[in-house]
Formats: sequence, C-alpha cells, structure tokens
Amino acid sequence: MTSGVGEMREVYPLEGEAYRYRTADEGGRFTFAPEGEQSGGSTANLSLIIRSRENGEGISRDESGRTHPFAWAWVGAELHLWLDGDLFVFQRADPSALSAAEGSGRRRGGTGTDAIGDVRAPMPGAVLEVLVREGDRVEHNQTVVVMESMKMELVITAPRHGVVRRVSVQPGQQVERGMRLLELAPEDDADK
Amino acid sequence: MFSKVLVANRGEIAVRINQTLQAMGISPIAIYSDPDAGAPHVATAEQSVALPGSAPEDTYLNIPMIVQAARDSGADAIHPGYGFLSENPAFARACREAQIAFIGPSPESMEALGDKLRSKDIALSAGVPVVPSSPECFPGDAVAQEFAERSGFPLLVKAAAGGGGRGMRVVRQQQDLDGAIESASRESQAAFGDGRVFLERFVANPRHVEVQVLADGSGHTTHLGERECSIQRRHQKIIEETPSPALTPDLRERMGEAAVAVARAAGYVNVGTAEFLLEPHTGEFYFLEMNARLQVEHPVTEVVLGLDMVEWQVRIANGERLTLRQENVEPRGHAIECRIYAEDPYHDFVPSTGTLLRWRPPSGPGLRVDSGFAEGQEVSIHYDPMLAKLTAWAPTRELSLRRMEVALSQFQVLGVITNIPLLRAVVKHPQFQAGEYDTGFLEWNLAVTRPVVSDETRTMARALSAWASGQPSGPNTLAPPNGNDRRASATPWQSAGGVRLP
Repeated sequence: MTSGVGEMREVYPLEGEAYRYRTADEGGRFTFAPEGEQSGGSTANLSLIIRSRENGEGISRDESGRTHPFAWAWVGAELHLWLDGDLFVFQRADPSALSAAEGSGRRRGGTGTDAIGDVRAPMPGAVLEVLVREGDRVEHNQTVVVMESMKMELVITAPRHGVVRRVSVQPGQQVERGMRLLELAPEDDADK
Repeated sequence: MFSKVLVANRGEIAVRINQTLQAMGISPIAIYSDPDAGAPHVATAEQSVALPGSAPEDTYLNIPMIVQAARDSGADAIHPGYGFLSENPAFARACREAQIAFIGPSPESMEALGDKLRSKDIALSAGVPVVPSSPECFPGDAVAQEFAERSGFPLLVKAAAGGGGRGMRVVRQQQDLDGAIESASRESQAAFGDGRVFLERFVANPRHVEVQVLADGSGHTTHLGERECSIQRRHQKIIEETPSPALTPDLRERMGEAAVAVARAAGYVNVGTAEFLLEPHTGEFYFLEMNARLQVEHPVTEVVLGLDMVEWQVRIANGERLTLRQENVEPRGHAIECRIYAEDPYHDFVPSTGTLLRWRPPSGPGLRVDSGFAEGQEVSIHYDPMLAKLTAWAPTRELSLRRMEVALSQFQVLGVITNIPLLRAVVKHPQFQAGEYDTGFLEWNLAVTRPVVSDETRTMARALSAWASGQPSGPNTLAPPNGNDRRASATPWQSAGGVRLP
C-alpha cells in the first residue's frame, strides 16, 4: 500500500484556497481523503478505481459504478485536468510552485493584476498605448494600457484606485504573458 | 476544370477547402508561414509553398508573394477562404492580372459590397430596408456630432471595411464618442488597411439572422435559407443554427427574397451572405451587410441541404451554371455549430495561447468537426484563436441540441483554455432551448460566463489531480519554461513518490 499527504490549490476555473488531503493506493483502489476545511468541495472520502494509459488519459470509477473519463498534462508547475468536459488547473501548494506560477502571470482576468500591485499583461502581444504616467492618480476600471493581441485590441484597466508608481513598458513594445506593464501603489502610499 | 488551386489561407478553412478540392480531383496547394510549417492545412495539401515570416502582413496578407507562389506552383485558381485577403479587391484584381482565376466575386462587386457604406446604398436601391447610419466621420467632426444628436446614445461606431466584430464599438455616452471613433479606426486600419468609420443607430438586442446566397455568372441567383447567429461575444458569433427558431415561413421567404434582391442589384457572382438584424417582436428586419465570401458558419447550411458550398464556389468560378433551383432548396432537419475558441470564457474571453498537449475532437452520428489544429501544435498569438468548429445535425432541433451537448462534453483539450464549458452552458440553457434569445443573450445571462462546478465534480477533480501528481509525467507534458524540473521542487510530504505512513 502506498499512501501520502498533499496540499494543492485550484487556480482554474476558480482561484481557490489551498486544501489538504491524504491519499492511499491499495490493490488498485485509490482513496482520496480531504482533510480539514475544504472550500468548494465535499469532505467525504472518495474511493476510486483508476485505469490509465501512458498517454495521459484514464477512466475513473467510483463506488457507485459511475465512470468518468479524464486526461491530464503538466504545463510547467501546473497540472491541467480534463474531467467530463471541464478543465481544471491545479498547483501544488508549496512555495516554489507558487512563485513559478506567479512569474507566468496566472490568469486573473482582463486586468491581470497581482497582490503586489503590478498590472501585468494578460496575454502576449504588443503595447499600443500607455495612457498614464508615473505619479498619475488612477480610478478603479480606468483604462491604463491598450494592447493588441491576436488582431484584437485589449483594454487593460486599473484593478483599483491608486497611484502609478512605475510604468514598465512603452508603446510598440512586445510583451509576454505575465510581464509587468505598470506598478500601482495604494493612494496613501503616494509619497513614499 | 482547374487542375491546381492555391488555397490562400490557413487553419480549419484551408483544411476544409483542401478536402473538397481533392474530392473534385483538383490538387490543393498550401501556403504557410514559419510557425505553420507543420500545420494540418499543409499536411492535407498536395503541394506547399513557404512564405517566410510569421506576421500576417508578411505571409497570409502578402499579395505579391501569394500571387508569385500561385504562378510558381502552376495554380490556375486561388481560393481565399474567409478572413485574410478574402474580401480584398486588390487581391482579386492581382489574381485577374496574373490570369489566375479568383474563386469568389469580382473585385468590383467586392468593392461595392465589402464597403459597408456603399452596400447600404445598394440595398436601398433594391428596396431593402437598412439601419439608419451616418456618412463617413472623424473624431470631433460635425457629421459625427449631428448623427449622435439625432440618434442619441447608445450608438455604434463601425468600420466601413470592418467585419468579425473588428473596428466596431458601442458608445454609451457623448464623452466616449471621439475615443471610440479613434480606436475603431485604428483597429480597422491595422486589420484591414482601411480606417474609415461611420456611426449607426444601435438596435437594442436584435436577432442576427443571415441568408446564404448562391449566384452563377449567367444571372441565376438563389438563396440557401438562413442561419441564426445571435449568440455572440465581442460582437463575434460563437453559435449558429439553421433553421432559425425565430422565422415564420412568411418571414423566411421575405428575407430570402431581400437577400437575392441585394445580390442581383450588386451583380453578385459566387457565394455570399446577406446579414440582417431582426427585431423579434415586430418581425421587422434590416439589411446590415453582404459578406462577399464563404462564411465561417457555412457548415450548418451544407449539412441541412446536403451540398458542398466550396464545390459550388469552384464550379461557378470555372464558369459553370447553377443547376440548383430555388424550389429545390429544401432543408432537412436542424443543424447547430459551435465555435471552439482558445479563450477564457470566465475572464472577459481573453485569448489563451500554448501548446495543444491534448486535442481530441468528438465523433459520432450527426457530428462534423472542422479543425485546423493537431495535437502538439502551438496556438500562437499571430492568428485568430478559433481552434475548430463543431457541427451537430439531427432530424429535430431538440435532438441536434442534445447531440451538441454530448459532443461538447467529450471534446478533450489540454494545454490551452477553451470556451467549451460556456458553449455547453448556452446549449443547455432553457432560454436557448426554447429558441428565445437575441444578441444580448450573454449579457443577460451572466451566469453562463461564470464557472459552475458541483461539489461532487470538484472533489472528483481534486482526487484525480492528487492521483495524477503521483504518476510519472506522460509524453504530453510541457516542461516549465524556466527549465526547472517540477520534481526538483517537490517537497517530501507530497504523495508523488509515495511517503509511507507508519
């Protein structure tokens, strides 16, 4: 019997809290036992019979006999899981996995902002216009940068009120997904 | 008949055209940019010509190079597909000058119809109603101001050369007008090389219904029924069906006649589509524009009529007469198409790029997949994020919707985010199933743009991800971009290697 504990975090379709679990693998039966609080998931144990192939696809059967086809692949530090027509993306909840994902500018909506106050490019493309300057006060939802990607204009808006601390890009510049476009400081930080 | 045809396009439409050409005994010739060297549209052609570069301007929009490629490879005709150069009169003219047949309308009717301002005049001359609009306008000029005062807000800024939602803006207040004119003009300049824009009255939540037209070179014009295209995001269609649940037989006949009248007035030859806005409660319809090309959503028409529109395009370009008569156009059953996009439906439809680590379209009774991608292929920023079109047919609308729902739930994609869950949510929605929807559907039903996952499914997903974490990575694994092995960062308590508990 193989068993273990783990901690993971869902990042798609919902950004969720980390959750802990125990697993056991015995005689072809895989048991998933959620531990502690489980935001958005049930707390009951799940016992599955899983048949998989080397090409990253499998079938899981639960105790009631219901079968679910699934497929998985790693994209960098993220585990992408297809299950019954839905896509889930998980990260291991250890610090190195989290920082790797931050660098890739995880999808956080059209605004592409992270907790530090960086406004990041939600996808690769070219910067068309930068509508603010360092020191500018911006309103929530104010357009700050216009990008072009896949032949479409992409309007990047400020995720909150604040002051532009630094502008990191210029019009015409090519940017990768997750690259910082500008840095926002909370308004009361303006003088620091 | 032609012996070799160069397909001046990429992706699913080039693959689809290649297939018809091969079936007709014609050799398809592909062109490809650097990132497309291994793409399915090259694999399904018999010959191919490299266009160095990756930007569209250097490759699929490069008229001199494409005409040269056709000459060098001995093509006697060019099929432009949709998008790219398909509605570019300069391209059709360059083909004519090089004595290569252009599979599509003449540059003259393209000029007249591709220009939204001129096509409105043509429709009016044919007695077909249009949505009130301004002449060409500029930021801050009197034309824009006068029209805005007359029509009020909201109103639409539209590019005369626009299409597919590009170069179009909804303006809700006076202070945004100039900015919207500027940005629409710039987007249209970038996408179509033509920055002219005009203003149009905003018809609130109409249905978008279009009529397929087929016209030969000897004056015979017929229509192939309608397509309902009201499910849109960013003014771009994502689901289309035929017949439209909104049309009565009488309305269908009148809209069909209007489409034929516009095509005749423009001297139109080959396949084209007349787009209409339909006010569902009054049954009034307005001509919007004529698309002088094959449409993305043409498969639903093909499926209910049992014909191949690309074959007809080729025959008409070859000077053949249309043998199809209006009274013989009898649709059978119902067809629905969903466009599979690499985009995040839960975050403003932001396009998603990456490698298709898994790409398994469904198959089964009544299904058709038009795909331009293969597993392992890169979805890049250079091109449109549409990955494939999934079409379901059945004798009744109810059954074709069911088939679509099942097929979507079996469509396996890993490596990029797709809009498949959104498409499923729409197809399952009671209002959509009742056929009672308009172009405001996604705005009114925000719930479908939010993820809905049951606790049960979420726990199953968590369990499987925990299980997969402990598996050796499969062949479809993409290493982290920074080169770190994910295993190197694993902490001892993860189940990856299996920690034995006492």
